[in-house]
Amino acid sequence: MSILEVNHLKKVYTTRFGGSHVQALTDVNFSVEQGEFVAIMGESGSGKTTLLNILATLDRPTSGEVLLAGKNVLSIRERELAAFRRDNLGFVFQDFNLLDTFSIQDNIFLPLVLSGKKYPEMKQKLGPIAARLEITSLLKKFPYEVSGGQKQRTAVARALITEPQLILADEPTGALDSRSADSLLRLFEEINRGGQTILMVTHSIKAASSAGRVLFIKDGEVFHQIYRGGRTQEELYQQISDTLTLIATGAAVASAANYLHVEGGARHE
Amino acid sequence: MSKFFYAKLAAINIRKNARIYLPYLLTCIFTVAAYYMMGALSVNPGIDDLEIGSGSLRVTLGLGVWVVSLFACIFIFYTNSFLMKRRKKEIGLYNVLGMGKGHLSRMIFYETVYLAVISLVVGLGLGILLDKAAFLTLANLMQAEVPLGFYVSIGAMRSAVILFGVLFFLIFLNSLRQIHLTNPIELLRGGQLGEKEPKARWLLALIGAAMLGGGYWIAVTITNPVQALTLFFVAVILVILGTYCLFTAGSIAILKLLRKNRSFYYKANHFIAISGMIYRMKQNAVGLANICVLSTMVLVMVSSTFSMYIGMEDMMEKTYPRDMEFLFQGDSEDVTEIFEGKLEEILEQENAEIENVLSYTYLNTSAQKVNDRYIIDPSNQDNGMAVAEYCTITVVTLEEYNRIMGTQKSLEEGEILLYYPEEKNLDSVFPLGEEDWKVREQITEFPDNMQANVMMTTHIGVVVKDKETLLHIDQMRKWPGTEDETTTELESCYSFDLKDHDPQLEERISDKVTYFFSSLYQEVAENGGRLDMIRYYQKSQEEALVMGLVGGLLFVGVFLGALFIMATILIIYYKQISEGYDDKDRFTIMEKVGMDKREIRRTIRSQVLTVFFLPLIMAGIHTAFAFPMISRILQILALQNVGLYILCTVISYLAFVVLYSVIYMLTARTYYKIVS
Repeated sequence: MSILEVNHLKKVYTTRFGGSHVQALTDVNFSVEQGEFVAIMGESGSGKTTLLNILATLDRPTSGEVLLAGKNVLSIRERELAAFRRDNLGFVFQDFNLLDTFSIQDNIFLPLVLSGKKYPEMKQKLGPIAARLEITSLLKKFPYEVSGGQKQRTAVARALITEPQLILADEPTGALDSRSADSLLRLFEEINRGGQTILMVTHSIKAASSAGRVLFIKDGEVFHQIYRGGRTQEELYQQISDTLTLIATGAAVASAANYLHVEGGARHE
Repeated sequence: MSKFFYAKLAAINIRKNARIYLPYLLTCIFTVAAYYMMGALSVNPGIDDLEIGSGSLRVTLGLGVWVVSLFACIFIFYTNSFLMKRRKKEIGLYNVLGMGKGHLSRMIFYETVYLAVISLVVGLGLGILLDKAAFLTLANLMQAEVPLGFYVSIGAMRSAVILFGVLFFLIFLNSLRQIHLTNPIELLRGGQLGEKEPKARWLLALIGAAMLGGGYWIAVTITNPVQALTLFFVAVILVILGTYCLFTAGSIAILKLLRKNRSFYYKANHFIAISGMIYRMKQNAVGLANICVLSTMVLVMVSSTFSMYIGMEDMMEKTYPRDMEFLFQGDSEDVTEIFEGKLEEILEQENAEIENVLSYTYLNTSAQKVNDRYIIDPSNQDNGMAVAEYCTITVVTLEEYNRIMGTQKSLEEGEILLYYPEEKNLDSVFPLGEEDWKVREQITEFPDNMQANVMMTTHIGVVVKDKETLLHIDQMRKWPGTEDETTTELESCYSFDLKDHDPQLEERISDKVTYFFSSLYQEVAENGGRLDMIRYYQKSQEEALVMGLVGGLLFVGVFLGALFIMATILIIYYKQISEGYDDKDRFTIMEKVGMDKREIRRTIRSQVLTVFFLPLIMAGIHTAFAFPMISRILQILALQNVGLYILCTVISYLAFVVLYSVIYMLTARTYYKIVS
């Protein structure tokens, strides 16, 4: 069963005085199955961020639909959006987005508190998550007192604690050193093995190669996708790298691209 | 590189940062204008032409100049530090791009020069223009004629240029110090270095609460006006220090306590509000305490000067019931008669008539209340005692009393009539001197007596049976170090109204009367009496003196009030801006984590409201507690009308609330523009 379905998504930005139009997304189609770990790759300006913002219900598309667990998120009313986001989506951002006014523990509690959960219940949920993410000893500290990797693990804990349908990660390793990045990616794989669906937008081949499937976006469309299948991470890395080269040299090898092009909306077998 | 590069860059910087520079520049301009106006007024020759109370007015205005310059120093430094904090990033960028610290210094030098020149030129221009208006207002307040002409004080201009020149130079040095002490990375990060969570300082919070409580306690418990005057400054200092402690330490301690209470803290609205407030209070506590203290000062100053000004007439009428009063100290049967004769001659010459004459002899003495006994012998009085323990006792004979008041009262030996309006439940015995006097009756009226009115102490009136008793009481007094038993505090008073209230006539009469004072001494001595001293009061002159003082005070009060309000506006404006930049990031994070836009707006709004209206509420409480004390002090100045003072305070407070709210709403718009 697919947990996320994106059909014919289109987004056109109009400048403030309506002068010029910028087409960020032309026609995006893909779906994510329950328990999948999907990475979305693309160059700057390819529409990745726009796509993620729409999936996160922070932005609205010009046309098209987004179904989360069969429910069209675009039909949710503005005032219910925040609660919907809180209950169904978990976020991990490049720059962590922790609130410096809260301790690590309170940052993780934030979505639960907003949902009106009681302290004992929150505490009970926090215990195992903090242990798994190895941040139990940091709980009383404040964001400015811990390292980047620890901050990102806090953000992951915050995303996990609501047991969301889908975790959206926006360039999660972008601000981390390679060791922290590696450990975060291993963490994502581990969480994914536990059944959590993850959708990650990234630049990094390394990050993408830890996913089960990689989607490539170019000029506002899903240009290509690779399944990991039985491949090792190294093999996947190599293939992603090749594909990116292909995309970069796009025009010259148009025929090759044609051969590789997978029709939007292709389903995982 | 062009010689003018830095000069141009500096100009561009100021223009580009208009949002933070414009209010700063306006403040500098207004402060310069205010300083010039105050300085020019205090030396304005027109003040001498006002004729009334020019001396006391000059003193008040001179004091105002000092207050304004002190204020200018503190305030310009405060706003500049804010400015530098906001600009750190920009300066850091220049530094990274390859401008050395020397280059930066040159840029900042030019910026400071521009600001200084603009502030001084525009400020002085504005000052000169407004000076005339201020002078007209002042003259109007003092109910004086306005001399024509436009006055420009070179002296005040020079001192303004010197003061603000030095100030701007110091600010320049301070900016240099900040640039030299920091490295580019720090400059780039600017204000948004990870803010440490403030510690709860319980001790400081408790000390603050104790000081505030102490100040309030003094204000509420003091009943004696003189004590109120001496303890007023103690109370003020306690309250100011207490305010600072409570705003800085107390607020955070309380918030942390709330955070410890889990079932309270982990609720959606409390959760965000409390943690947000802890940081807001850390950054804003001093600024808020400043606002609170400034507002309280404005409120107390404006309300008390206003009620004094409005209550003046009433006050003068009470203190000086008649136009002219002559007092002859000494024991003489016929001094009044001789004086009256002379006066009649003068009145005839001047073709003037008098009315409402009050002429009587009395004994005026200060007494010290020790163990419920009124000691009037100075040699037995304890000099170490506070002034508060003193009171003024006026003794008259029954004959005089009945004559003046038109009554038919009678007294036996050892009996007295007692006038003591402050004390409601008196014993039937009044312990005066070494003796106990039987109080035959408590009276509610006593002859007006200017001497007793102008004294700050409690006034008690005693009516004794006859002249012997009066002299007997007089004799109880032995001045230390003098064996001369003939020393006397006996005094005759002769006071009257002029039928025709002509100031020039009054002046001529007073001149002529004082002229024959020396012959009066002689004549009394020839007749076997003694005359130690003559004093006289002219109501119009006293009135002018007080008018000069009160009118000047009111003017300075309102003037400084306006200046303080301007300061408050600026502090609030800068706070809104800096908060806006901080909140912007938080705003987006919360939205991503799953908070409604409206919800965020609501919580932020409630925090901002709390922060800005906290000082206003505290200022209201301070003013309320200052109330009993101020009304006692006003009592000394013979303003008995408490209702008037209440009204003035309430009106001032309401006006301030309205003004403050308007300021808040105007600045809040800038804030929301930044946030969204």
